Amino acid sequence: MIFLNINNLNVSIEGKKILNDFNITINEGEVHAIMGPNGCGKSTLANVLAGNEDYEVNSGKVIFKDEDLLDLNIEERAQKGLFLAFQYPVEIPGVNITPFLQASINSKLKNEKKPELDNLSFAKLLRKKAEELGINTDMLKRSINTGFSGGEKKRYEILQMSVLNPELTIFDETDSGLDVDALKIVTEGINRFKNPKNSFLIITHYQKLLDYIHPDHVHVMRNGKIVKSGDISLASEVEVSGYQNF
Amino acid sequence: MTLENNFIHHSKEYIFLDNETLSNHRENTYKKIFQKNYDRKNNESLKNITISDVSKFNYFYKPTKTNPTVSLIDDLNYKIKLVDGICKNYEDEYIEIRNITNLDFKIFLNQVNNNLDDIIIDFNKIFLNSGIFFNIKSDTKLKIRLVHDTSENFTVFQNNFINFNKNCEVQLEDHFNLTNNSINNINYNIHVDEKAVVKHNIFQNFRNSNKLYLTSNSVCEKKSSYHQNTYNFSEGFVRNFHHAHLNGEYSNASLKGCFFLKNKNICSNKTNIIHNAVNCVSDQTYKGILNAHSKASYYSNTFVSENAQKTEGYQLSKGILLTDNCSFFSKPELRIFADDVKCSHGSTIGPVDESALYYLRSRGMSKNEAMKMIISSFIEEDLLNLDKNIAKEISNNLSDYLKSLSND
Ligand SMILES: Nc1ncnc2c1ncn2[C@@H]1O[C@H](COP(=O)(O)OP(=O)(O)OP(=O)(O)O)[C@@H](O)[C@H]1O
Ligand SMILES: [Mg+2]
Repeated sequence: MIFLNINNLNVSIEGKKILNDFNITINEGEVHAIMGPNGCGKSTLANVLAGNEDYEVNSGKVIFKDEDLLDLNIEERAQKGLFLAFQYPVEIPGVNITPFLQASINSKLKNEKKPELDNLSFAKLLRKKAEELGINTDMLKRSINTGFSGGEKKRYEILQMSVLNPELTIFDETDSGLDVDALKIVTEGINRFKNPKNSFLIITHYQKLLDYIHPDHVHVMRNGKIVKSGDISLASEVEVSGYQNF
Repeated sequence: MTLENNFIHHSKEYIFLDNETLSNHRENTYKKIFQKNYDRKNNESLKNITISDVSKFNYFYKPTKTNPTVSLIDDLNYKIKLVDGICKNYEDEYIEIRNITNLDFKIFLNQVNNNLDDIIIDFNKIFLNSGIFFNIKSDTKLKIRLVHDTSENFTVFQNNFINFNKNCEVQLEDHFNLTNNSINNINYNIHVDEKAVVKHNIFQNFRNSNKLYLTSNSVCEKKSSYHQNTYNFSEGFVRNFHHAHLNGEYSNASLKGCFFLKNKNICSNKTNIIHNAVNCVSDQTYKGILNAHSKASYYSNTFVSENAQKTEGYQLSKGILLTDNCSFFSKPELRIFADDVKCSHGSTIGPVDESALYYLRSRGMSKNEAMKMIISSFIEEDLLNLDKNIAKEISNNLSDYLKSLSND
């Protein structure tokens, strides 16, 4: 099976070209990291994969689990097992976290023709996952991201991931804004969640996160494409001398 | 039928035919409209209404086999059914309700008049054919469900008086059960006496061929409160014009509403709060969801007289426009003549937040489901402090509305 293959992807927004013949292959169970200077197109890549309709795909192909990903709409991609932890999670006042996540997981289960979760079993699952991630259960009564601190928003993205149990998770700077302890809790969460079937694409600016997670591959991205790939030592190179050598 | 024909042929139904003062007043009002002697351009009372539509109608009012009732659902929980504007005369130790007669002309002469430029109220005066006098006695705690049944083709012009006496605590619900092709021009005069607490919930859910023009004037005395909520799920035309007067210190009033429009539905809303005493609080909030080619307007107004120091007044309008073809006109106004006041107004009207929609969908929810979740959240806070039954009724209406959206 082809898990994820992006082939010569070109993407623009409002006429401005952002992704430029972008290529990557991620296999089942692999952890990839992408580093790159501000504005090089990392979030664009993440959002195009999630199906954001603001971007225009000019050419290229994306295969996810043997299917043409670009043919699917936003929710179909999520139901197929793709999850994006947003760089800037949006606040949605009035929409309560618990029913929102329950509806989300149930649409996925429904799609997989599995029985849906009732209120009670979902509440149990959510509480368990929240406790694992050190998230105060009081937070589960609140509206989505509304009034959350920067770090709380990131933790809440991780919580959603662990409840929805995706096969491909994209972290868009999920480590930014987390305090030391939170970073530890979050990386432990990710490590616990890792298994031979789950893959990750981690977008980050810091080596620290990668030290905890041990990616299989590290890529450096500039001007909308990957300019160098290697192992974790590439991250140290970036940490020491920045991007000008790439 | 023309206004003139209606006026000439249906004069006998007018309640106060015997009273010279009121009859003269009526005659003058008629002339004013007939001679188009009023502000036709900037008349808020005609927003979203064409005068010819309201002046040409088939007057029809023959309440014969009516069967109004007063019943107790529970202890201190009344159900009162008005049929074509008529109630059953009834009195017990807590309430008194009766139809007005021409002997009641005095209360008419004395009614608070805040509707000087309101053409709809002029029509109410010209064609007045019914009215009730409703007294809720002091120190009682009650629930009242008032059901307005109007028969097919009826034109009801009604002027009602409700007195909430001292210290009473009342939850009043109005339900409009209109059959077909009816016109309902209903004006409420509401008096809330000292320390009385009134919650007034008004449900409007009827079919396309009916029209409802609902106006109210409430007066709050010292330490009393009046909270009004209108819920408009109607396909037919609705006009909600509500005025509240805070005449006693430490009184408070809120005039709130939610409307849910589809197809070519139209509604016209106005709220107006007059602060005449110190230390009073008011809130005016209208929210609407508009689909297809629907149209709404909302005027809000806070007036603070010079002796109404320490006033707090809030105004807010919120709207979600689901298509490019619907429109929501909103105009807040503040007129303040005291210096120590806190007043604010705000307005947010626009399409559904695309980034919110994207976020919800990115977790696997369908576009439809996500849309529904966002729309329900829009009135979520309005359901929090409501009686369970009422909240349920509203959420049922809301899910019907949401269902209708996906069928479009
Ligand atoms: N709506 C938009 N209109 C115009 N330009 C846009 C829009 N969205 C993104 N861009 C531009 O696209 C480029 C790539 O943005 P993107 O968010 O993908 O960068 P990034 O690599 O994630 O940066 P960072 O590290 O700062 O998060 C930037 O130059 C940005 O200004
Ligand atoms: Mg970014």
